[in-house]
Amino acid sequence: NMDLEDDTTVLTTLKSFNSFISRSQPPQPLPECSGYGGSLQSTYERSMGLLEAAERVNSKNKYFQLDQEKKQMELSHKRARLELEKAASDNARDFKNEVEKNQDLLGRIKRLEERESEASRNLEEQVEANRALRKNLEGLTKKLEERDTRLNTANQTISSLKDEVRVLTQKIQNQDSTLTSQTLEKEELQEQLDLQRRKYQEVSQLCKNLQAAQSSCSEHVIKIKELERRLALQEQDFSIVKNVKSEVARVPDLEKELKRLREENALLRESRENCSLLKEEVEGLRRKLERTEKTIEDLVNMELEKEVKGSVTEKPEDLSREVIQIQQREITLKEQNYTLNSRVRSTERLLSELNSELSQQHSKTLEEQKKREAQDSLVRRLQKRVLLLTKERDGMRSILESYDSELASTEYSPQLNKRVREAEDMLQKIQSHNVEMEVCAQKHIPQGFFSGGESTRGGGGVYNTLSNQSQFLSVCMSFRQKIEDLEAERQRLEEQNNILEMRLERHNLQGDYDPVKTRVLHFKMNPTAVAKQQRQQEMESLQEEVTRLRELVRSLQDGGAQDDGSILTPNLSLSLPPSKEVLDLRKQMESSELKNQRLKEVFQKKIQEFRTVCYVLTGYQIDITTTNQYRLTSVYAEHMDDSLASSPGGGSMHLMETEFSKTLGEMVDLHLHHQKSIPAFLSAVTLDLFSRQTTV
Amino acid sequence: MTSTLKGITLKGSAEIVAEFFSFGINSILYQRGIYPPETFSRVTHYDMSLQVTTDVKLKNYLTNVVSQLKEWLCECTVQKLVLVITCLETNEVLERWQFDIECDKSAKESSAPREKSLKTIQEEIRSVIRQITASVTFLPLLETPCAFDLLVYTDKDLVVPDKWEESGPQIINQSEEVRLRSFTTSIHKVNSMVAYKRADSV
Repeated sequence: NMDLEDDTTVLTTLKSFNSFISRSQPPQPLPECSGYGGSLQSTYERSMGLLEAAERVNSKNKYFQLDQEKKQMELSHKRARLELEKAASDNARDFKNEVEKNQDLLGRIKRLEERESEASRNLEEQVEANRALRKNLEGLTKKLEERDTRLNTANQTISSLKDEVRVLTQKIQNQDSTLTSQTLEKEELQEQLDLQRRKYQEVSQLCKNLQAAQSSCSEHVIKIKELERRLALQEQDFSIVKNVKSEVARVPDLEKELKRLREENALLRESRENCSLLKEEVEGLRRKLERTEKTIEDLVNMELEKEVKGSVTEKPEDLSREVIQIQQREITLKEQNYTLNSRVRSTERLLSELNSELSQQHSKTLEEQKKREAQDSLVRRLQKRVLLLTKERDGMRSILESYDSELASTEYSPQLNKRVREAEDMLQKIQSHNVEMEVCAQKHIPQGFFSGGESTRGGGGVYNTLSNQSQFLSVCMSFRQKIEDLEAERQRLEEQNNILEMRLERHNLQGDYDPVKTRVLHFKMNPTAVAKQQRQQEMESLQEEVTRLRELVRSLQDGGAQDDGSILTPNLSLSLPPSKEVLDLRKQMESSELKNQRLKEVFQKKIQEFRTVCYVLTGYQIDITTTNQYRLTSVYAEHMDDSLASSPGGGSMHLMETEFSKTLGEMVDLHLHHQKSIPAFLSAVTLDLFSRQTTV
Repeated sequence: MTSTLKGITLKGSAEIVAEFFSFGINSILYQRGIYPPETFSRVTHYDMSLQVTTDVKLKNYLTNVVSQLKEWLCECTVQKLVLVITCLETNEVLERWQFDIECDKSAKESSAPREKSLKTIQEEIRSVIRQITASVTFLPLLETPCAFDLLVYTDKDLVVPDKWEESGPQIINQSEEVRLRSFTTSIHKVNSMVAYKRADSV
């Protein structure tokens, strides 16, 4: 690029130079055209041309220099290029070599990686195989151990079974003995049972007697209670009778008291009369008192004068006696005075009371007179109202009857409404009539009212002639009252109507109906009937089952007392389903029976094995003939009957005499009597027999 | 049915009402548990899912009653249909579903179809059945085994058909009544109500 740039600058300079040169040529003709004025100019131009030529020469020199430089540079460039190309080619070759090497190396790396992966896979497989092998090993070791343990247990079981065999044989013997003893016990118990049954029958008879006695006792008790009740009632009656008697005894006393009280009453009445008489006496006595007091005073004065006149010669004792007598007289007179005063006061009190009563009675009579007058007026008004109402009622009744006769259904409300409307129309008519009447009255009252035929309207025809204002007003009042009554009745009827409508609605909701118009039907075979039938059937079947079960239970209870289970168990098994317990027990029994059987088989086998082993090893077959008696038969016996007998007794074995043992008298002497060893004897016998056999 | 025609005739109205009773009775039996729910299967009608029994005996009984009811509806002689639920142990009436039927007798004479859209009628029926389903919230539980019966209140002068017999109204002692929705086909109007035995009086 640097070369190119240099070339371009060179080329551009060349271009510019060429252009300059081309430019510089046209301006040459210019100096020819100019005149004098152009001599300076021409010289200037010549100088300028020379300068320019110089410059051109310089530039040409420069150009040639540059050219040369350029050529040199080009040469150097070429050399450099060649060198570079060589270097480049060398580099390319090196690069190619390197690339090939790289690829080789990469290939190798890949192969090595593959090998590595394979090796790792192999490793893993090996490890897994190792693990599996180890597991196998462990399993095998476990199995070995298990087998060892099993072997040990088997050995143990064999030894235990041998012991068991021995034990079982002993047990069998024991059981045989117990069996015999139990049969004996059973016989004894049966005898006892018979005794007990007899006793039970006697006891049951006694029980029945007791029950009869108890029932009679209870009856007696009931009778006793009844009698006691009757006694109690009688005692009550007796006490009542006593009270009545006492009361009756009191009756004469009461009668006497009555008489006495009546007499007292009569006396009191008489005394009352006497009182009045006494009052009169009192007045008379008062007057007498006054007179007597006056006379007393006169007497006293007279006596005093007399005594004064004639008492000069009298002694003081006479005086004192007279004074005393006077004092006594004074006292008595004072007493009389007091009594009279008290009587007077009492009579005055009575008088005042009577006066007050009189005044009250007067006021009461006045009031009653007023009331009577008011009530008379009321009565008159009410009579008039009654007349009006009766006529209204007749009218209403006729209307009601007409309605009742017309309609037979129970729809009253429209009728009532119609009636109400008619009543209202009546009311309005009456009111309007009323208003007219009032207007007429107001018009005619100042003129002196006299009505003729204007009042002959209105329902009922009551208002025929009116002559007085008060009468007119009373009629108005009656009209208003009638209106109020009708309104009240209308409201009452409306309320009744509402209540009846509500009741009707309620009954309709509940399902009520009019039997005259409506009928209620349903399907014969409806689900309720079907369900009821089914229920009935279920009930009957359940009841039957219940009675059957009860009979069973009763029979069971009776049967249990008699211990005749064998007769009833077939019934039980037929009718009752076996319960769970029974099934479980049966299963248990079966399983235990199986076990027993198996055990027996095993024992038999073992026993047989043992006996054969003994026979083979020792050479003698040992059989049990009867209890505590063993028979030994040798392997090498010449006859089937040749046998020895022995029995354990008293702690050691005794050998019994048999026909065969008689033939072995020498050996018996030697081994049993002298050596006292049974095995030696037996072995001697076998040797002897063996020798005999082989020889024979 | 009547969807192809422009209006509702007497016969069509009777069919609609009978169909409503059939589905309504099935719904009540399912809701109140008179029959076990596994004996019911779901069907779609009136644009809602309803439960209908699959028990053969019950189906026969219902078809018998509903077909007879359709006849009576055409003659306009039926006044009420009552579903009575009785307790089997005590023979007491526990619940009473009463449907009052008001028939416009003028439809018998004129025989011109009335203008009422089937859709409106179905909407009304739907709301009634929904209300029946919702009534379960206030009705007392039926804990004892129960059986049901269908009673029909007819005019007195009607001839009693073969398999039917007269019965009592089976009114509940001390009951509470609730009025439910009603629907009308413009010829027949059906009012529904339910009466149940007061719980404290049991």
